[in-house]
Amino acid sequence: MGLQDYIIRRLILMIPTILGVVVLIFAVLQMIPPESRASLYITDPKQFRNVGDVIKKYGLDQPVYVQFFAWLNQILHGNFGSSQLGGHKPVLTSFIDRLPATVEIVIYSAPLIVFFGIWLGTVSAVNRDKLPDHITRVTSILGTSLPSFFFGIILISIFVAQLKWTTLYRLSEQGKLLADISRGTFRLYTGLYTIDGLLNGNIPLFLDALKHLALPVLVLVFIQSATMVRVTRSSMLEALSRTYIVAARAKGLSRKEVIYKHARRNALIPVVTISGLLVGGMLTGLTITETVFNFGGIGQWAAQAAIQLDVSIVIFYAMFSALIFVISNLIVDILYAYIDPRIRLG
Amino acid sequence: MSTKQRFSEFKKRMQPTIKEIKFTMKKILESPLSLAGVALVSFFIAISLLAPILAPPRDWKGYPLRDPFEIPRDPDEPYTTMPAPPTSKYPFGTTTGNLSIYYGCIWGTIYAFRLGLIVIAAVLTIGILLGLIAGFYGGIIGELIMRFTDIILAFPGLILTMALIVALNRAGWSNIDAAMLSIILVGWPGYTRLIRGEVLKVKTEDYIEAARASGASDLRIMVKHTLPNAIYPIVIVASLDIGSIVLFAAALSFLGLGAPPNYADWGQLINQAGDWVSYGLQYWWTFLLPGLFITLFCLGWNLLGDALRDILDPLYRRK
Amino acid sequence: MEQKNLVEIRNLYLNFYTYDGVVKALDGVELDIKKDEILGLVGETGCGKSVTSLATLAMVISPGMIESGHIEFDLGKEKLDLLNIKEQDRLKIRGKQVAMIFQEPRAALNPVYTVGNQIAEVYYHHRKEELTKAAISEAEKDVKNAKGFKRSIYKRELSLLEKMLKNPKSLTVRFASKIPILKRFQNRIKRVVRKDTVELLRLLRIPDPQRVIDMYPHELSSGMAQRVVIAIALTCNPTLLIADEPTTNLDVTVQMQILHLIKELKGKLGSSILYVTHDLGVVAELCERVAVMYAGNVVEVADVMAFFKNPLHPYSQALLESIPRPGQKFVSIPGTVPSLVNPPIGCRFYDRCRYALETCPKVKPELVEIEKGHMVACHLYREG
Repeated sequence: MGLQDYIIRRLILMIPTILGVVVLIFAVLQMIPPESRASLYITDPKQFRNVGDVIKKYGLDQPVYVQFFAWLNQILHGNFGSSQLGGHKPVLTSFIDRLPATVEIVIYSAPLIVFFGIWLGTVSAVNRDKLPDHITRVTSILGTSLPSFFFGIILISIFVAQLKWTTLYRLSEQGKLLADISRGTFRLYTGLYTIDGLLNGNIPLFLDALKHLALPVLVLVFIQSATMVRVTRSSMLEALSRTYIVAARAKGLSRKEVIYKHARRNALIPVVTISGLLVGGMLTGLTITETVFNFGGIGQWAAQAAIQLDVSIVIFYAMFSALIFVISNLIVDILYAYIDPRIRLG
Repeated sequence: MSTKQRFSEFKKRMQPTIKEIKFTMKKILESPLSLAGVALVSFFIAISLLAPILAPPRDWKGYPLRDPFEIPRDPDEPYTTMPAPPTSKYPFGTTTGNLSIYYGCIWGTIYAFRLGLIVIAAVLTIGILLGLIAGFYGGIIGELIMRFTDIILAFPGLILTMALIVALNRAGWSNIDAAMLSIILVGWPGYTRLIRGEVLKVKTEDYIEAARASGASDLRIMVKHTLPNAIYPIVIVASLDIGSIVLFAAALSFLGLGAPPNYADWGQLINQAGDWVSYGLQYWWTFLLPGLFITLFCLGWNLLGDALRDILDPLYRRK
Repeated sequence: MEQKNLVEIRNLYLNFYTYDGVVKALDGVELDIKKDEILGLVGETGCGKSVTSLATLAMVISPGMIESGHIEFDLGKEKLDLLNIKEQDRLKIRGKQVAMIFQEPRAALNPVYTVGNQIAEVYYHHRKEELTKAAISEAEKDVKNAKGFKRSIYKRELSLLEKMLKNPKSLTVRFASKIPILKRFQNRIKRVVRKDTVELLRLLRIPDPQRVIDMYPHELSSGMAQRVVIAIALTCNPTLLIADEPTTNLDVTVQMQILHLIKELKGKLGSSILYVTHDLGVVAELCERVAVMYAGNVVEVADVMAFFKNPLHPYSQALLESIPRPGQKFVSIPGTVPSLVNPPIGCRFYDRCRYALETCPKVKPELVEIEKGHMVACHLYREG
């Protein structure tokens, strides 16, 4: 079966890349003195007092290959060490704390980006060189030229500072009170305040979280749909120039039927793959937006860690990103093979 | 052969290329969007060239500045952190510490160009070298190179760039140089993949076979035959990328990892403007003007790259 | 044997609006296609034959535009000028009374839909009523023969089908088409379509049609693909079949097979065929009449025998001379096709013609009948 073989082949190819990532990270790690590296192995803050013991315990002054396997062992047991500064919290815990913020932005942005991208891209292609096309093209080029932090700042100056419509971070002060677990009125389900708000029956919390999501989502959607629009547009134009379109018209189908039944199906194949990569990239690429809006997601967390050279966090984030990258590529490749019969059936 | 003869021979050989370039330029000038792109890019080139006239690199006493990229502060004015609105003395207003935004924006243009061009040149060189080798020879070397690019592409660019800048900083590098190096290290895989792809496409063409049959060496085939034909998509991507590189560097500066605080760097200016955003639009000139510069710069290159893509594609097909 | 005209093309002017200027691709094309004949349309690349064939469907590929002209179609019950009716009405004719087969068969098929799907599309588009009626009569039989529970199911299917016949856009029908269990009423129609498709594929000598129906275009050989393309064209028994170089991209052996097939089908179905080609050998093999085009004009029309025996237009003569023969020197026509952006005012073949007269560059020759059924556009024959 073509598809199964294809999937297996892709999975196998995934392994050297992940291996390469791990090896590269480890190689870079070796350039850091053992004392700093110790933080990668410690989860209990108390252990920090006696770094020398840690070094001996994990063999940080041992030959490279011993260290490599010791480290791998660590990772596979879910121990990613702790942050060197700021409370010495275990890396994995901090990560899980902050992940929902990022995920929440992605969940609301991704569908909007895909929707607008495909819709406007199709409109643009179908009305080539006419007014809708020009407007869409100008707007989408603007979207790719506008720096996300600049757009974010403009929105903040207007909506946060001037109009005082919302605030930075995920919730307002009242919202934070509503979402306080210690008060007993709120149960944390997913960490996504919009969903948790609904699940708790707490509509004000839901609305508050939504309001705070509006601006970051707007920035993201505006800038990322630009790319989607351009990809969809060129893909549609490519599909519309094919012979089977002429053949379909010769069958007596109306222009609309030809566009939506014949061209679009073909055009959407590369678009689907791009959107898959886009969503995957968003999980790790929200750093600037999160920082500007002080959203407390993993991107902002990693950025702060990078500035402070907090090794364990940076390493963890690098591994996480690489994993997401590899997985999203795999999913996209599989999707592609599934949608396109030419690949599915070899 | 005398030099004169050699030169006329050269001119004759370049004729078809010259014709192509002339044709491309004509097409660029025909569409309003591409015209806008050319206009914007030319505008910024003009600013860079005229910078010493538009914003003389002298301190307020008239003495030339040690480093023209350091925004001069007028010592006669009392130091204040509050930004001042645009006046005749400060056409774009000032930001924290009496720094002229006008000066920053003008010299920031040169800074942006310098950064963009150096990075693009480096990334292209590496990319072409590795891409040619990987595409041309294939085999184990090619696979290794491609796996390596895959691995680098898997990493989070921004975070790693940031970490690298901080690390290099501690090792004594200036932020600016560290930023350039980091961006190059993160950016070369993309171009390597692109060029390799183009080389693969060109490799199967007949004229490569012909060149080989006539005994041309590998190097000769690569440089004289493969490269000129693989060049079009590269030109397009490169021109689109200059904008992205400057944008990326501006983001780094915005996060505090770019140029130092009184430097003429657009991203840095917006970083400093961050303090004033909480006042709403009251101090609009601190962030809107530098931001406008970045956006227009990027817009110009994007429009140009887009136009080139549209023009070079049907040309490609017409061949 | 005076045959009636199926299609009369008169004064067809077509331009392409390109970057380099306005290409005057068709410059007053005049062509008759008679009923029940195979007419060959020959010319070199760029002479406008493909454009003309598409135009017969009133279709133009952008950036082209039909400037003026008439395409009179005799549909039996009525005569229509394809260029003068609404697009909606044209859609009813395309694919039904006129159909087209293409040069690159696999390119003419949509890669993401199965063969069966693409043939069925034509059925659903043009013969929906007929199919529904067939399904209804089948359902009625089932209702009669069934008992109890099954009977009530069939009765419901029957009523849905009848509603669909009367008002296909009604809410009930559209609703039922989406609901999982209800929408099975469409299965009857699907079965009828599938049966007819298998028959059609069999008619085209496609082996194992049941399996081919569910295949995708890239899984077919180009010969098979071309048969599928022809099948699509023949779904509604068109009165006119337009074939745009359908065998040019095929292997020689496959070419012969397809040519034979086309001949056979024409006999069975009684349609006319407009066969566009640059290959005079195919014309000799297949066609009854031939029309020659050059640089956007029809320059000669004749019965095939008359044409080969006595080509009148200098271009036709040069064409026939340039066919490579063993033992003879290789002859080609000197010069090149004129630019159609700034075409010459007079005869467009003037600068390559060995018999050029004084009037040739000044006045455009018109298509005139010299002998019975033999027309030519050339000043040489003005005086009769």
